[in-house]
Amino acid sequence: MSTHHHHEQDFLFKYIFSTDHKMISKQFLITGFIMGFIGMIMSTLFRLQLGWPGESFWIVDKLLGSWAENGVMAPDKYLALVTMHGTIMVFFLLTAGLSGTFSNLLIPLQIGARDMASGFLNMLSYWFFFVSSVIMLISLGVEGGAASAGWTIYPPLSALPQAIPGSGLGMTLWLISMAIFIISSLLGSLNYVVTILNLRTKGMTMTRMPLTVWAFLFTALIGIVSFPVLLSAAILLIFDRSFGTSFYLSDIFIGGQVLEYSGGSPILFEHLFWFLGHPEVYIVLLPSLGITSEIISTMSRKPIFGYRAMIGSMLAIAFLSTIVWGHHMFVTGMNPFLGAVFTFTTLLIAIPSAVKVFNYLTTLWKGNIKFSPATLFSIGLVSTFISGGLTGLILGDSALDINVHDTYFVVGHFHIVMGLSAVFGMFAGVYHWFPKLFGRMMDNKIGSIHFWITIVCSYGVFFPMHFLGLAGVPRRYYTNSEFPLFENLIDINVVISTFAIVIAFGQLLFLYNFLYSALRGPKAPQNPWDSNSLEWTTPVEHIHGNWPGEIPEVHRWPYDYSKVDESGEFVGGNDFIPQTTPLFQNEKNEKH
Amino acid sequence: MTSVSINNQFDTAEDIKKKTAKPLLWIAIVSIVMLFGGWTSAVIVSKGSSPRWFSFDLPFAFTISTLIIVASSLIFHYGLFSIRKGNSNVLKLASIITLVLGVMFIVSQYYGWKDLYSNGIFATGSKSTSASSFIYLVTVFHVLHLLAGIISVLVVAIKSLKEKYNQENTLGVELSIIYWHFLGGLWIYLFLFLKYVA
Ligand code: HEM
Ligand SMILES: [Cu+2]
Repeated sequence: MSTHHHHEQDFLFKYIFSTDHKMISKQFLITGFIMGFIGMIMSTLFRLQLGWPGESFWIVDKLLGSWAENGVMAPDKYLALVTMHGTIMVFFLLTAGLSGTFSNLLIPLQIGARDMASGFLNMLSYWFFFVSSVIMLISLGVEGGAASAGWTIYPPLSALPQAIPGSGLGMTLWLISMAIFIISSLLGSLNYVVTILNLRTKGMTMTRMPLTVWAFLFTALIGIVSFPVLLSAAILLIFDRSFGTSFYLSDIFIGGQVLEYSGGSPILFEHLFWFLGHPEVYIVLLPSLGITSEIISTMSRKPIFGYRAMIGSMLAIAFLSTIVWGHHMFVTGMNPFLGAVFTFTTLLIAIPSAVKVFNYLTTLWKGNIKFSPATLFSIGLVSTFISGGLTGLILGDSALDINVHDTYFVVGHFHIVMGLSAVFGMFAGVYHWFPKLFGRMMDNKIGSIHFWITIVCSYGVFFPMHFLGLAGVPRRYYTNSEFPLFENLIDINVVISTFAIVIAFGQLLFLYNFLYSALRGPKAPQNPWDSNSLEWTTPVEHIHGNWPGEIPEVHRWPYDYSKVDESGEFVGGNDFIPQTTPLFQNEKNEKH
Repeated sequence: MTSVSINNQFDTAEDIKKKTAKPLLWIAIVSIVMLFGGWTSAVIVSKGSSPRWFSFDLPFAFTISTLIIVASSLIFHYGLFSIRKGNSNVLKLASIITLVLGVMFIVSQYYGWKDLYSNGIFATGSKSTSASSFIYLVTVFHVLHLLAGIISVLVVAIKSLKEKYNQENTLGVELSIIYWHFLGGLWIYLFLFLKYVA
């Protein structure tokens, strides 16, 4: 019984100003990927400089033009590139690109809703993101170059337009872009939370939701409480820069000249920034943890181990993430007692993290694992989550952190635990839900090759960085070969840069696979992975409103894989039982 | 463009709106709370770390503002009571009075700023410090949020004059009232914070 009728929408409203969550999801994905590729190319360029300092490269010359006289990157432009790389990767690829894509695609489909609570706000969320991306890219081309104070934009470098070339217009545009970005993110999060809480289909209780949806819920909640604080910090910075206040500034000389600021404190900025900054790493990570939970369970044909423990640990992580920001500030002259408190709260996060790792491994254990590229990337995430988490224990301990703060140890740590984990989760999600996004299948073989190149080179790039850091090499240095102290480390930099070049080329495989499959790939079947969750009950061709008839009712949790009865036979005859299947006779209704 | 479709739980786009409008507003309010929470914590951090922090008396106008905004909240709420009982005339009057009081609040704030200024407490420039800038910052941003509130009350006033509300249909009024009460609460918080903490 459906009064749902298709109206011919013109191109503009179907593809551009769409309010349909599935289209918006694709918009986020493609914009995010474009930004991600730009961020990756930047990293390859500055890796060339770090591996072979001062050498001239044809490609650097071509891509950077006046930023690189004779093909050698200018020092201040190095800083601009690092800043933009970090900003783009963290916010544009892994916040908007990741959450925007998968929350939009999966929340309505997996909870059984026709669309988001407000399609209009959802559309706004994408367009704010788009505008902020464009402004961020434009800032690369302005006089003085893009913002150069690091993705953390600490004052006074960011607060005084005359401080360095990158503190000028580039910094202003960075702030404007981020303010718009924050609004986009808030609009998105608002919608995600309200949709999850209010628009679930019949039978879809909270504890029958896939872990993906739980992860998106926590991600959105963290965003709602922490992004406004970044906005408050950015507004103060804008006032300091342009309107003569001194929130972050006090008694400053520049070029021998005294500036008229008084009473502010740059440390204040660090508090406000990291109150977002740390939760932000979980905003980046949690969606990937949810995506991989779902994939690992489906592809190992086993119920997820510890469903409630998974939810509980995500809740714990989400909560703890808001009370650990001080671990980024151990060297600011913080009271050692306060440092100890932040060390304690930080190390507490190890507990829920370990629970998650344990549950991933036990789910995989003795599973009938189907190694799709999505499975491989999910297992890759488990690996990086462990290896990056272990160095987190070192950095979280104030006594140890002081020794490696602001060195390449930190760069190695956060790339592995946040960058790689989140990117692997995102790749896994794209491979797994590609049939749902584009109605076609990606090529598994190319996908697997892509995985192996990516994981080997990822460790090749980021693992050796720990040794550089332990040897004392500072981060954000244009060159680290000019100091006698670091002379014998040059080879390590060559190795890292070589891996970085290979990994960049490896991503072309993905790009090819993605584009080719989207246009020419084999048509996807209804339920390619024999999955239980609701999204696979919708037609392969996207329709407005998702289900042609009534929204299906849900009768069970999403992880009834390989469920056997007393005689050892699969319940229902298959190794999976979709959520829409009512309980069989004699089937026990278990609590999970 | 939202589809009108039969669903096993909520029938139309209208139902979905009824179900989700208030939660959307509440969550938006949470994020505004965090914005001001960021600033007021910033005041505490700055106060603790700056040797040049100083305190000053709040202008009397801010006390008047507090009374105005409390009064407006009560009157607006009385309007909601009445429309729930089916009396739209009281709502018309109440929303118009709220509107006037909202504007008066802004005027009163303006006198407060003038008072601060004439006492040498500046928002920006070489004679300002972070202590003096913060008070302008939070009060000005409160007024910016209040402007959105005034627009929403204006919409309620116009719609009630056009008899768009009745006993069954009060969602718009309720949304506007929730936000208006929130603005009142936010102001009281800021007022007490500036008076006793900053
Ligand atoms: C293609 C792979 C990547 C390579 C080769 C790479 C390389 C680098 C290097 C060498 C630095 C440090 C530069 C310096 O301190 O002078 C850096 C900084 C950074 N990267 Fe990456 N990166 C990659 C991917 C990512 C990803 C996926 C993320 C997402 C989280 C990310 C986030 C950051 C951040 C936040 C910084 C710090 C920027 C700053 O210091 O302000 N990177 N990257
Ligand atoms: Cu942190």
